[in-house]
Amino acid sequence: MTAHVDLNGACTLATSSAAHVTLLDPVARFSLRAGDGERAALSKALGITLPGKIGQCARDDSVEILCLGQDEWMILAPKDQSVKIKAACEGIYGDAPHSLTEISDREVAIQITGDKATDLITIGCPRDPDMLPVGEARRTIFDGVSAILWRDGKDEYRLDLWRSFAPHVISLLKTGCSELAAE
Amino acid sequence: MTTYRVPGRGRVLHNRPVSFTFDGTTYQGLEGDTVASALIANGVQLMGRSFKYHRPRGPIAAGSEEPNALIGTRRGKGRFEPNTRATVQEIWDGLETNSQNKYPSLKFDIGAINDRAYMLFSAGFYYKTFMWPRSFWDKYYEPFIRAAAGLGVSPTEPDPDNYASRYLHTDVLIVGAGPAGLASARAAATAGLRVTLVDENSEPGGTLLSEPQAQIDGKPAWDWLSAELDALIDLGIRIMTRTTAIGYYHQNMIGLCQKLTDHLENPAEGAPRERMWRVRAKQVILAQGALEKPLVFDGNDRPGVMLAGSAQTYLNRYGVRVGDTAVIVTSHDSAWYAAFDLASAGTKIAAIVDTRPTPNADLVKEADARGITVLAGYTATGTSGRLRIKSVRVNKVENGKVLGAQTIACDSLLISGGWTPTLHLFSHTKGSLKWDDETQTFLPDRITEDCQIAGAGRGLWGISAAINDGAAMGAAAADALGKSVTAQTISVEDDRPGTGESHTELPTDGDPGRAKAFVDYQNDVTAKDLRLAVREGMRSIEHVKRYTTNGMATDQGKMSNINGLNIAADALGKKQPEVGLTTFRPPYTPTSFGAFAGYHKGEHFEVTRKTPIDSWAEENGAVFEPVSLWRRAWYFPKDGEDMDAAVRRECRETRKSLGMFDASTLGKIEVVGPDAVEFMNRMYTNPWTKLAPGRTRYGLLLGDDGYIRDDGVIGRLTDDRFHITTTTGGAARVLNMMEDYLQTEWPDLKVWLTSTTEQWSTIALNGPNARKLIEPFVEGLDLSDAAFPHMSIAECTVAGFPARLFRVSFTGELGFEINVPSRHGRELWEILFEAGQQYDICPYGTETMHVLRAEKGFIIVGQDTDGTVTPYDAGAGWAIGKNKTDFVGMRALKRPDLTADGRKQLVGLLTEDGVSKLEEGAQIVLDPNQPIPMKMVGHVTSSYHSDAVGRPIALALIEGGHGKTGETVYIPMPDKTIKATITSTTFYDPEGARLKL
Amino acid sequence: MLLIHCPYCDETLPELEFTYGGEAHIARPENPADKTDDEWRDFLFIRTNVKGPHFERWRHSHGCGRFFNAVRDTVSDRFLTTYKADAPRPDLAVLVKNSDVKEPSK
Repeated sequence: MTAHVDLNGACTLATSSAAHVTLLDPVARFSLRAGDGERAALSKALGITLPGKIGQCARDDSVEILCLGQDEWMILAPKDQSVKIKAACEGIYGDAPHSLTEISDREVAIQITGDKATDLITIGCPRDPDMLPVGEARRTIFDGVSAILWRDGKDEYRLDLWRSFAPHVISLLKTGCSELAAE
Repeated sequence: MTTYRVPGRGRVLHNRPVSFTFDGTTYQGLEGDTVASALIANGVQLMGRSFKYHRPRGPIAAGSEEPNALIGTRRGKGRFEPNTRATVQEIWDGLETNSQNKYPSLKFDIGAINDRAYMLFSAGFYYKTFMWPRSFWDKYYEPFIRAAAGLGVSPTEPDPDNYASRYLHTDVLIVGAGPAGLASARAAATAGLRVTLVDENSEPGGTLLSEPQAQIDGKPAWDWLSAELDALIDLGIRIMTRTTAIGYYHQNMIGLCQKLTDHLENPAEGAPRERMWRVRAKQVILAQGALEKPLVFDGNDRPGVMLAGSAQTYLNRYGVRVGDTAVIVTSHDSAWYAAFDLASAGTKIAAIVDTRPTPNADLVKEADARGITVLAGYTATGTSGRLRIKSVRVNKVENGKVLGAQTIACDSLLISGGWTPTLHLFSHTKGSLKWDDETQTFLPDRITEDCQIAGAGRGLWGISAAINDGAAMGAAAADALGKSVTAQTISVEDDRPGTGESHTELPTDGDPGRAKAFVDYQNDVTAKDLRLAVREGMRSIEHVKRYTTNGMATDQGKMSNINGLNIAADALGKKQPEVGLTTFRPPYTPTSFGAFAGYHKGEHFEVTRKTPIDSWAEENGAVFEPVSLWRRAWYFPKDGEDMDAAVRRECRETRKSLGMFDASTLGKIEVVGPDAVEFMNRMYTNPWTKLAPGRTRYGLLLGDDGYIRDDGVIGRLTDDRFHITTTTGGAARVLNMMEDYLQTEWPDLKVWLTSTTEQWSTIALNGPNARKLIEPFVEGLDLSDAAFPHMSIAECTVAGFPARLFRVSFTGELGFEINVPSRHGRELWEILFEAGQQYDICPYGTETMHVLRAEKGFIIVGQDTDGTVTPYDAGAGWAIGKNKTDFVGMRALKRPDLTADGRKQLVGLLTEDGVSKLEEGAQIVLDPNQPIPMKMVGHVTSSYHSDAVGRPIALALIEGGHGKTGETVYIPMPDKTIKATITSTTFYDPEGARLKL
Repeated sequence: MLLIHCPYCDETLPELEFTYGGEAHIARPENPADKTDDEWRDFLFIRTNVKGPHFERWRHSHGCGRFFNAVRDTVSDRFLTTYKADAPRPDLAVLVKNSDVKEPSK
C-alpha cells in the first residue's frame, strides 16, 4: 500500500542529484471532443487553432491545447479562464456540436526535471523518449497506468495522471529518484 | 599463496587477498577471482554432488555454462541463493558459500548409494519405477520424489533485496563483448548510432581474457582491449557488464538481467540487487561466441576433469593452474594450446591424447619440442579416483578396433570435443539452424528478426576471423539502418585458429552398458540412457529429451545438446539434421524471480487506487478491501467490534437515522452531443427519449449476447448531456465497450464520451435524516420531495462547492449522492460528518452497502450475475423498453437458449431454521437424499446476516426459480445440509415506503 | 512484447499501450430483428480462428483511444499491416508476399 499524498497543491515529492519530482498546482482542464467539421469553428471560438496531429500542442500566453486523438483535445488553462472557455464553446454548440467536459479534478500533474529526468521516465514508460520532441506530448502508459507524458525540455517532463493512480506512480518515481542518484 | 596460483599471472589482483568460506572452511583468494578459481587455487576441485547419483563433481567449465559446481551463497539474513554457479560468483571478504546435494558432508554423502544402484535409475526410471502398486503413491513414491527432486534448497525467508527495471531503446544492441562484439560496437558507433554492448562477465573481453598471447593491431591483446574500451566509451557506447541477455523476444525486444550487488562486499543500503532491462533495439548483433563440448567416455565426470579451454581460462585470466599433472584428451586443436600454456606455467603434461590419427603437424612439432608425449588415434575408456581424478585409461584405436589399454596418472584431465556456437538467443527468435557438416554443428540459417550473428556464432574460429567478422557485422547493422561505414580490417598475430572432429561417445573396449559416460552432467544423463531411450521407442529428439531429461536442467543443455544429438542420431541411424534439435527457451541462464518482479513488491506490488476520502477512512480506523484496483473502506469497527458487529451496527444506524458512504469509485461517464439520447437508447435496455432533464433512471447494459454487463443510475442533465454511473469494477470496461460501438458501428452519431470517474468525489447519504442533514448546505435547489423527488438530479452548490446532486437510493432509505470536484471530497465529507453528529451519523463501508442493498434485492453485477444472466433471469425485465426496436442485446434475448425453460433465475432464500447463514457460492439441490453426484440446480450468490429482517438472507440463482416461490431447497455443506425456502428477492420494505419521506 | 503501428498516431509503439479487440470485419447487422437465430448466433460466436494471417482489431487504449484493424500472422505473431477502422480489407496475397523473412547476411 502506497503512502498517502496530498494531491491538492504543489509540493516537492522527491529530489536527488539525479532528478526532481514535483507535484504541480491544479489548473483548469477540459476534454474537448469534436469532429473534423467543427474544428475550425472551435479554433475560432477559443482563439487558438486546434492542432491537427496527435501529440502536437498549441499555446498562447496562458492556454495549452494538446491533440490526444483524431477527435480529442485537452485544454489546460489558468483557473480563472474556465468560465470564458466554457462560454466560448457553448456559444457555438448549436452550429458546431461538440463535447466540452471539465476534468480539472480528474488529473494531477507531476513535473520531472534534472540530469537524469529521461532515465527516470524509462523506469516506467516503454516508449522511446528520444522520439518525443520537446514541446509535444503523448498519452502513453507508465508502470501500468495511463498517463500523458509531456516533454517540456530536454530534461524536463510532465506526467498527467488520473488522481487515484497518482500514489502508485509517485511511489515509483520516489524510488527511481534515489536509485538513479546512487548509480 | 598456494602452489596452484601462478604469481603475476592473470587479471586477478595478486596484492589484494580476499577471504571467504566454503562449507565452513575459510579460504583465501584474490580480488578478481570467482569462487571456482579461488577454490581451484587452493587445490579444491570437489565442489558438489550430482543430482541423481550424487557423484562427486568439480567445475568442468569456467563460465555460466557450468553444470556441476552449483553452490548456495549467503549474504546475510534472508539473502541466501541456491544453485549459484561457483564459476560466476565473484568473491568478496566474508562471502559464505556452501556445496549442495550432499548429506552429511560433501566428502561422505549417503545419497551416493544411488551411484551403486545406478542400473535402477536409467532413462525413464520415473515412469518405470513408480508404476505400482497404486497404494504406494501417497505414502512412498510421492514423498520420495519430492525429497529427491530439485537442485539446492529453496530460501525460507522473504527476499529483503530490492530489484529494479528499466526500458532502453537503442539502435544497435550487441550481446557479447568478446572480439566480435567489440569490433561490431566500434563499427556501429562510428556510424553515429546509439550502441549498447552487454556481457555476462564481470569485465568485457571474452576470449581475449583467456588469450593474452594474441597481438591485435600490433598491441598485446590486453593492451588493445583496454585502449579499445576507452575508445568505445568516448564514442558514447553504453557498456554493461554482469549483464545477461536472458531472452530474445518479438521485434528485437531483449531482456537483460544486470547483476548489480552480488559481487560487492558492502552494497549501498537499499541499492537494487539486479535490474531487468527491457531493450528495444533496431538491430541486434549476437556475438556470443561458442561453448566447448566435453568428450563422452566412462568416468568423464570426476573432479579434476575439465574442459581444456576452461583450464586455459583459469590459467590466463585467473592465474590458476588446475593441477600439477595433466592429461589432455581432445578431438580439437584448441586443447593443445591449453596444454602448452599450462606446461609453460609449470604443470606437467603427462600426455596429449588426440582421437585423430594425424593431428595438425605444427602442434605435434610443438609438443615434441616441449617433450610432451602425443598419443594420436587414441580413445579414452575410463578414469579412476574417488574425490579427484587419479588416472585415465586410454587405448589405441586401429581400423575401428580398440586395442589394449594404458593407464596414465594425473590429477587433471582436460578434455575437448570441439565447440558449439552459442545460438540460444538466436533460437528464441525462431530463426532456423542448419547442420554444417564441416564444423559438425548447427549454424544460423534463416533469420527472422533484424539481427546479425557475428564471429564464433557463425562457426568462425580464432580471434582474427571473429574480430573481422564483428567489424563487418557492425557495418552491416549500420547499413541496415541507413548509415554507411567501412569495416576496419584488424590484424591479429599469434592467433590460435584450429579445427577438430565430432564424436558420439568414444569407442571403448569395455561393456558400453556399464559405462558411466556422461552427456548431461547436471541431470546425470549418460550415453547409455540416450541409446536406451531410442531402443525403447523414442523416435523424436523431443521425446528422447523428455524420457532421459537430457538438456532439461538449469543449464538448458548448453554442453549436452550436440553430444546428445550425435548419440541419438547414431542410435536412430539418421543424420543429425534429420533428427533436429530441441528448442532453447528463455532464460539463457537462471534468473531470479526478483529480477522479473522488479519494483512490484511490498507497497508497490500492484496499482492501488485511492479515493480522495481514503485518507479519512484510514485515519478513522477503516478496514479496507480491494475492489478491482481500488481499495475501499470495508467497515469501520468501533472499539473491539469484529466485522459482524460493526456491519450490524452500521446497518442499524443507517436505517434508523443516517449513514454516509464513500461512493467515489463509482464509474462515471459524461455523454455529450446532439445524438446523446439516441446513443443511450441504443446502448441501454431502457427508454431514454422521454426522460426529462433533471431526472434519472436505473440503466441496464447488456452485451449483444443478451447477458447483463453493467448497471447504474443515469441522470439527464440537459437534452444533450447525460451523467452515467457504472459499477466500480465495470467503469473502464463499459467505456471501452461504448467507444467500440461508437467508433466502429455508429461513427455517424454526433456524441462523445468522457470518463469523469475521478472528476467527482461521491458521497452517499442514506437514512431518514439524510435530507435534514444536507438541506442547510445546499444552495440553488429546493430539496422537498415534491420539487426534488426520488430519482432526480440537479446542479447546485453544497457547502459552497459546485455539485451534482442525485436523489437516489441503493439502500431503500431516503438517499442522496453528492458529487463534488475531487479536490473537495474529503473537505465536504468532514463538514457533513461534523454536522451529522446531531443525527448520530454513521460512516459505513462496502460490506454494509452490500447488506443494505441485498435486503432490498438490488443486484450487484458480477456477484449476483456471472455473465450468463439475462435481465429476465435477474428479474429485471421491467428495465427493458417495451417499444424499442433495437438496443445492444435485444436480438439475443429472443434466441431459443435465452427463452428456454429451466434457466437459472435470481430468487431470495431464507434458511428454515432462521439462524444458519448460507455460504456464498454454495450449491443448491432439490433432493438432499439423492445419490452423489447430486444434481445441482443453482448456487447462492449473496448471503448476509440482516439486522433489519432479523435473520440471515440470501440471493441465489436457481433453475426455474421464479416459478418455485415458497418451495424448499437444500444446501449440502460438509457438516450438515441446510434447508431453505425460495422467496422474493425483496426482503425489506417491499412497498418502498421509506423512500417517500 | 510486440511493436504495433497505430494508423491514427502514425507511430510504431509498444504493445503495452494497446488492447486486443477480437476478429475484425464483423459488422453488427443493421437490423438485428431481421436476422434468424442462426445468423445471430454466427454474428455473436462464430469466428475464423485461423492459423496464419488473421484480420483482427486492436485499440490504442493508452494512446489515441482509437479502434483499428490489423493483419497478424498467428503462427509468427508478426503484424503484416494495420489500418484505420473504416479502411477496406487489404489484399492478403500482397501482404504475405511482402513479409518474407530475411536471409542472413553473407
